[in-house]
Amino acid sequence: MRTSKAIAGLACVLAVALVPAQAQETIKIGVITDKVGPAKPYAEPITQGVEFGAREINAKGGVLGRKIELLIEDDQGKPDVSAAMARKLVDSGAAFILSVSLTPATQQAQTVSLATKTPQMTPSNSGDTLTTQIDNPYFWQTGPLGSIQIATLLSYAGAKNYKRAALVSDNSDLGQLLARFFKSGLEKAGIQVVSEELISRGATSADAQMQKVRAANPDVLVSAGVLTAENVLMLKSYRQLGLKMPLLASYNFSVPVYMSVAKGLLNGVTFVDAYDPAKPEIKAFEAGYKKAMGREPFNLHGYGYDGIHLVADAIRRAGSTDKEKIKSAMQATNYAGIMGAKGMRYKFPAGKRTGFDPNGMVVRLYEGDRQGRVVHVGVGKY
Amino acid sequence: MRDFLELAVSAAASGCVYGLVALAYLLIMRPTGIVNFAVGEWAMLGAFGAYVASSVVQLPYAAGVAAVLLAMVAAGWLTERIAVRPLVERGAPVLAPILALLGMLVVFRESISLMFSPDPYPVPYAFGFGRLELGPLAGSYQSFFIIAVSLVVFAATWLFFERTLAGKCFEAVALNRRAAALMGINLARVTTLSFAAGAAVAGLAGVVAGANISAHYLMGVPLAIQGFTALVVGGVGRVEGALLGGLLLAFAEQLTIRYAPIPAGYAQGVPFLLLMLFLLLRPTGLLSARERSG
Repeated sequence: MRTSKAIAGLACVLAVALVPAQAQETIKIGVITDKVGPAKPYAEPITQGVEFGAREINAKGGVLGRKIELLIEDDQGKPDVSAAMARKLVDSGAAFILSVSLTPATQQAQTVSLATKTPQMTPSNSGDTLTTQIDNPYFWQTGPLGSIQIATLLSYAGAKNYKRAALVSDNSDLGQLLARFFKSGLEKAGIQVVSEELISRGATSADAQMQKVRAANPDVLVSAGVLTAENVLMLKSYRQLGLKMPLLASYNFSVPVYMSVAKGLLNGVTFVDAYDPAKPEIKAFEAGYKKAMGREPFNLHGYGYDGIHLVADAIRRAGSTDKEKIKSAMQATNYAGIMGAKGMRYKFPAGKRTGFDPNGMVVRLYEGDRQGRVVHVGVGKY
Repeated sequence: MRDFLELAVSAAASGCVYGLVALAYLLIMRPTGIVNFAVGEWAMLGAFGAYVASSVVQLPYAAGVAAVLLAMVAAGWLTERIAVRPLVERGAPVLAPILALLGMLVVFRESISLMFSPDPYPVPYAFGFGRLELGPLAGSYQSFFIIAVSLVVFAATWLFFERTLAGKCFEAVALNRRAAALMGINLARVTTLSFAAGAAVAGLAGVVAGANISAHYLMGVPLAIQGFTALVVGGVGRVEGALLGGLLLAFAEQLTIRYAPIPAGYAQGVPFLLLMLFLLLRPTGLLSARERSG
């Protein structure tokens, strides 16, 4: 009887001792993604990039001697659900939250990171307002901003002396936001927007919009659309109606799906990207990803990969999972990832929480149906 | 004028797609009274079927379309057996199968979302990517193809209802289910056939429209809304009303975008405005159904 009581007592002591040990075993990083909603085409590859990055970090011994554990939640692209998921992640002990869903969803989730003082970052959202509408010192953004995209395109187009531009977008939240930044960028550069068109999600034709563009006779057509199917529809009308002005496109045209879904329509289209396939870091990333995951990655995977590495870097420098220490370490980031032009480093200038170097974007050209070479780097005077 | 005629061809093609989706609604709604909002997802299945037939199995276009239509007939039949018949046999109110079909909408969409990546997939053109000029009319090969195919489908459907005994059976069920049953018409068979035919027509809409809009997992709901609007505008009871409603809707959309002096964002509200106007002022649509009782 005495022996069994002693064993039971020992078991209790062991259980109590083991609980905190297990809790400290991993560093929990929350990921808010969109598995079913409109951001899924972006969020899915970015999340896969996060997963690959975490796997790579863990294979090299983890962070502070502990493995990274990803807690992945689906917000369906809905702001209210995103905030609820952020709360769930905080309650589950996440030391950091990565948001890779829609910009408005990430915005809403910030209410939780601000209230709970939990570090949160988006490695991919491009809306310029994410760090300006809420003064949240626990939030950072490392994706290339919409304003940087248009500035890079304008810098490329600068030498061409364009005077009149047509701007086409879609009715998604992000498409509208980008269109606003693109328009203001064009006007600041002294380029008149002579036609502003919108292709609704689910449209069956873009002929009316492209007819208007043709009638306005601009020097250049700028696409701020982010819905791939609607962009392809626009491209089909652009070719069918025989439009000849150059087409400068947002980063949406950088996803490789265009090479199959818009085959034969792409030659000569220029697009802004944060991915230079000639960089040695990209070559190493692509080889590693293919070996580990069994398929080729592309630029969106790179955003997720850099995102989780930035978080790991901050925790490493913080020396603990204390949220205040991580916050300070994150703000002091100086990190070279794989994304961006050659030599680009992520940094947060004093008083700012946007970390993508304004001169880090590149302009690439479709050569035939292939995403071709980098033809321009940075924003220059824009 | 050249622009207008060019736009007319494009709008007519879009209108025919809306008309086909409206016809899919109508084929089910007339004999059963059930509004099936999953027709948009059927169109999505058709578009993905065309992608698989052309790019994966690499069938010739005509054989691929035939295979897709057969698969859609099976999908329609299966939908009726799973989501509708058990409820009807238990005497559930008409709202029950409508809700069950809304559930099927999610099932179809999520199944495609799991089977394919979220990216759009290319759907083949019937005659390639090119432009045809017929006198003053000009448009893509696909636009003319959509118009021709739709006219054939609408003419065949009209002839079926007006000139064949089987069509008269459908019409009889639409007019008075109880009397039709008393006259020996098999209501279950009519219901099954209406779902199979509705799925085939919706699938065809997806195949022909998919060449322009690509196959993707979110394409169903917009098509379902456009088709439903066309149905309400044209009149829920007549085959020709579905086509008329589709054409009116597409012309209103595209002419507004092209010529109305309003910001681009407002033009997308035109279809809804049209829908509200018809619901308020002429709820029976442009063409009224024949007298219905019981």
